[in-house]
Amino acid sequence: MRIGQLVTAVGVTGAMVMLSACSGSNAAEDGKTLTIVAWGGEDQKAHVRATAEAWAEENGITIKQDSPTDYAKLRAQVESGKVSWGAVEVEPNFAHTACDNGWAEKLDSSIDTSLLKDVEVTECAVPVLEYAFTIGYNTDTFAHDHPTTWAEFFDVEKFPGKRGFWKYATGAMFEAALLADGVKPEELYPLDIERAFEKLDTIKDQIVFYETGEQQQQLVSSGEAPLIQAWNGRIFSAAQAGQPVANEWNEHLVSYDQWIIPKGSAQAEVAQEWLAHYVKDLEGQAEYANATAYAPVSEGAMEFVDPEVAKELPTAPENAAKMSTVVDYAYWAEHYDEVSKRLSEWAAQ
Amino acid sequence: MTAAPAVDLRPAAPRGQHPGNLASQPSRSTRKRWFDGWGLLMLPLALFLLLVFVAPLALVLARSFTDPVTGLDNYRDFVSSSLYVDVLANTFRISGVVTLLTLVLGFPYAYLMTLATPFWRGVMLIVVLVPFWTSLLVRTFAWVLMLGDTGVVNQTLLGLGVVEEPIAMIRNSTGVIIGMVQVMLPYAVLPLFATMRSIDRRLLQAGEGLGARPMTAFWRIYAPLTLPGVAASCLLVFISSIGFYVTPALLGGPKDVMIGELIVQQLSGVLRWGFASALAVALLVVTAALLLLVARIVNVGKFMAGDR
Repeated sequence: MRIGQLVTAVGVTGAMVMLSACSGSNAAEDGKTLTIVAWGGEDQKAHVRATAEAWAEENGITIKQDSPTDYAKLRAQVESGKVSWGAVEVEPNFAHTACDNGWAEKLDSSIDTSLLKDVEVTECAVPVLEYAFTIGYNTDTFAHDHPTTWAEFFDVEKFPGKRGFWKYATGAMFEAALLADGVKPEELYPLDIERAFEKLDTIKDQIVFYETGEQQQQLVSSGEAPLIQAWNGRIFSAAQAGQPVANEWNEHLVSYDQWIIPKGSAQAEVAQEWLAHYVKDLEGQAEYANATAYAPVSEGAMEFVDPEVAKELPTAPENAAKMSTVVDYAYWAEHYDEVSKRLSEWAAQ
Repeated sequence: MTAAPAVDLRPAAPRGQHPGNLASQPSRSTRKRWFDGWGLLMLPLALFLLLVFVAPLALVLARSFTDPVTGLDNYRDFVSSSLYVDVLANTFRISGVVTLLTLVLGFPYAYLMTLATPFWRGVMLIVVLVPFWTSLLVRTFAWVLMLGDTGVVNQTLLGLGVVEEPIAMIRNSTGVIIGMVQVMLPYAVLPLFATMRSIDRRLLQAGEGLGARPMTAFWRIYAPLTLPGVAASCLLVFISSIGFYVTPALLGGPKDVMIGELIVQQLSGVLRWGFASALAVALLVVTAALLLLVARIVNVGKFMAGDR
């Protein structure tokens, strides 16, 4: 009797699980699902909330999310022909590589790129957001005078203390070194890597590499590395949290992320539709900027950004006037591998 | 190894029937068990391993010779750069030091656990297991806050006037080793404790009763009996340490890159899957070779089987 009850209970539970699984897959099969993939965390939630949810509801589309972006996974999905991702946020050098290798769909002509910056658009990718590599500094250590140029950032006599750089070759360290050495911004690319290493040699024992955004905030706000080549949004959020840090905008380098659609995605069509919406969604981009201090990418979106946040973005006119250049990711797509290796060898010496 | 009679579940052969024949064919009992169907119990596990372990490994091996072009290019790249060889050597160096330190710290801890009252043994077990319950990233980041130039330890030492300059404890091997030892300690303590708990402490009394000093009794009787646990914990810690990635990335400097980080970079960063596969194969081969070497010096199989 008891065993009979147990068997019934197991059977009913199993049937329920199967039923719910079936209903789940039905929703996914009708072609109205978009899987958005980004770097994860609160940032991604805010992003989807600001730029996708209202649009999805209006068009009867189910939004799914996955994170973090993983280039190896993307390539594996494309090569196996089973792509579960729709729109993926990537670094622009990877967007170039993916486009060249046929891992990304070409974008529809229905996507109106007229509001975007030309340099941030390719045939496979549109920009997601913009940020800047600024001189982040500790305002206690440098209360009266702080470095305002990359040349001063490299001047360990005048401004003693450790300097933080992102540990990856695309972290704009080479660009900063060359600017510090007197190369004009418009003559930066192709980078003279030898010359950059010579300049980096002059401060090598003062360099600290960081891996994550949290590490970056910790290094500069604790004063462990009172100077850091920073991501403007990270410094801003640390400052808002009461840490003694600030961005120096002079000579900053502009960077961005891009959306791509993996080749062969079953969601390609709906992803194209969403991107067409995204690049015109000025208010959605502004809402995301308000939440995260990443700059919107479409002209006109700044009008909708909270003025307190707007002045902390690279797209604010007073900041944009101080820009040195936009990082050239076509260069990096071609040289990332080789320069990464050189960087590892140099750092390990 | 000879067949373990304890596992033989067949009815005993009638006494006096071809005793010489049985002794000359030690493998017979194993074969017989297959026929009985006991061997079939292994089938699901064997299939599972074949599917999720052997097959992918074969693919990795194949890819290392074929991607992007067929040949030995990936391996040539590996040996021709001191960077990669150094990283591999560094991986083994750090893993070795971590293994040694966890043993030195874990052995007395596990021993104390066997002596403690049940209550304190529970407390000690919880203390050792706490790291399992926290995310690796959080724990590692906590070390950054503790060990940095402006971290708790250095600020205290500076405040007390013990040192003039902060001691460099992160962004170097010291940081990596401290972080890894903490993570790996449970893996060392648990097998040691399991082995020690099963050792009959009356053997020590017997030794002392026969005139041995307590230390002599400990080293001559107790310590050799812990060797299976020592071998198990060293193997577990060493093999797990080789694959570490997050801890060296956050606590180490550019000189402390371990091979796991390099493989991830090749796999996800620059997408050179063939080269990443070659790195993985090189790691596997060198690890296997090292273990074989150790096994020749110390009889690992004997320790692991507990067949003393």
